[in-house]
Amino acid sequence: MLQTAFNGVVTGVIMALPALAVTLLFGVLKFPNFAVGAMMTVAAYLAFALNAQLGWPLAAAAVAAALAMGALCVGIDHLTFRPLRERGAITLMVASLGLGFILENVARFAYGNSARSFAIELARPFRVADVRMNYEQMITIAVSSAAMIAMYVLLTRLPMGRAMRAVADNPSLALVRGIESPRVIRWTWFLAGILLALGGVLIGMDRALEPPMGSNYLISVFAAAIFGGLGSPLGAFVGALVIGLVSELSTLVMAPNYRIGVPLVAIAVILVFRPQGLFGQPYIRK
Amino acid sequence: MISFLILIGIVICFSAILALALNFQWGLGGMVNFGLTGFYALGAYAAALLMLKAGANTFVAAVGAMAVVAAVCGLVAFVTLRVTEEDYFAIVTLGVGEMLRLVALNEDWLTKGALGLTGVPRPFGAAIAPEYYQYFLLALALALLLATLWFLDRLARSPFGRLVRAVREDDVVAATLGKNVLWARVRIFAIGGGIIGLAGSLHGFYYQYIDPTQFSNIVLAYAFMAVIAGGRGAHRGAILGAAAVMLLLEGSRFLKDVIPALDSDQLAAIRIIIIGAGLILLLIYRPRGFFREYRLRVDFK
Repeated sequence: MLQTAFNGVVTGVIMALPALAVTLLFGVLKFPNFAVGAMMTVAAYLAFALNAQLGWPLAAAAVAAALAMGALCVGIDHLTFRPLRERGAITLMVASLGLGFILENVARFAYGNSARSFAIELARPFRVADVRMNYEQMITIAVSSAAMIAMYVLLTRLPMGRAMRAVADNPSLALVRGIESPRVIRWTWFLAGILLALGGVLIGMDRALEPPMGSNYLISVFAAAIFGGLGSPLGAFVGALVIGLVSELSTLVMAPNYRIGVPLVAIAVILVFRPQGLFGQPYIRK
Repeated sequence: MISFLILIGIVICFSAILALALNFQWGLGGMVNFGLTGFYALGAYAAALLMLKAGANTFVAAVGAMAVVAAVCGLVAFVTLRVTEEDYFAIVTLGVGEMLRLVALNEDWLTKGALGLTGVPRPFGAAIAPEYYQYFLLALALALLLATLWFLDRLARSPFGRLVRAVREDDVVAATLGKNVLWARVRIFAIGGGIIGLAGSLHGFYYQYIDPTQFSNIVLAYAFMAVIAGGRGAHRGAILGAAAVMLLLEGSRFLKDVIPALDSDQLAAIRIIIIGAGLILLLIYRPRGFFREYRLRVDFK
């Protein structure tokens, strides 16, 4: 029980990173991006190339992959989503689906379908109060917490963070106040790319690297972002913890194969009782 | 070679029916269905199980599969759209589709899991000699495709067809004019679901064998590609789009002879990359596809 709960927290902490990326992207661009799963996969394989093939330490490989993914996301947005910006959310969603197909299969083309893992030294798991923990899980919690705190500071204290929140809140008002939305969008993509890359590397460390590794988390990550309130960074974190915890705990009472049902139920429950999510603003249709 | 062409013809027919279903839900009705693959699998499994477990004949099985998929689609639309907006609907369909695939994979007692269901009966399978059967199946698939096309053409020109497009263009205006938008969307999604069920049954008739790996994301990719290329809302466009995409997919099998260095995983990856790229390029450079919706053509006269 306690062990399962701990595993759930680790899963939640991992999902918090992509969930935050989803919520930032939705806030600024106003459509759910279905390519985020495949973006995590690509970033994880980038880190894998540097780590296992070029022999870099995983930390350095992860940082490099994160920066590269941030830049790549800015480029991808420029090529695919920018020309479609005015076409409405549905067109953008379909484009993101196509982008997801491309990215996941670029990874499949390069590395095949077989599962791979990072070159890291295996360490013995240790026990704290009957709960088995391992070194990777500690790193996961540390990395994710640090990234969350950094994002919090950035969003609340720095001018770019304020501009991002302003554009998310009201794009035309932000424009009137002289905020350049293209610049804000670029920064949002850069940060989302970093978060997704870190998420991808952590998933690869937790499980294994394979082409569908990112898209397997897609529904859970969306559920986390919706549960916490789309557009709310704090909500993404809390939502990810809740979804991760409940998903793991659900395996105690039902077949583990249907864990994917938990995020679906979570979406349904939150939409019925609190459509704006735990920390979201009520959505007013204009 | 002739029999290869006939087999491609059959595949094109049921792919085109699937594309017509997506075109109705998304092209005409504006409802994105990212769970298409799961609903398609549901149709195939429902038809096969009705025949294998309940002993239904092929006609009853196909109608039953259509009813099952229509009911599930309608329910998903009703439950989701009662409380929320379209953005969430796409996510929910994705989740439900994945869930359906997992049921097919894990409920061994019903679906035999990864092994799949074998020996799916075919319509008049005993009455027609095996060497002529493929001609019959092609004729049957073609007839069903034309029937679907006729039905959707009628529907698009009917008052309900106008409601469908009104809901897509602006649901607030439709609601202001006294239309029940939720109920309209439930019907749109359920009708599309029924057609998906038909395509799924044909899939089973053709392969005589179904397993979860047949229902991978490539189905979703090619259906969206077919609808976008054909022009959203244009029925004939969706059919030609499906034909073009399937010819491309089947034709790319020969790529292996040209570039022997590629293994089959890489080849599969290349196909999906091409489809994904084609999808985005069409959305950017040719958003209306190559055919027009029926209403638009009238406006130009």
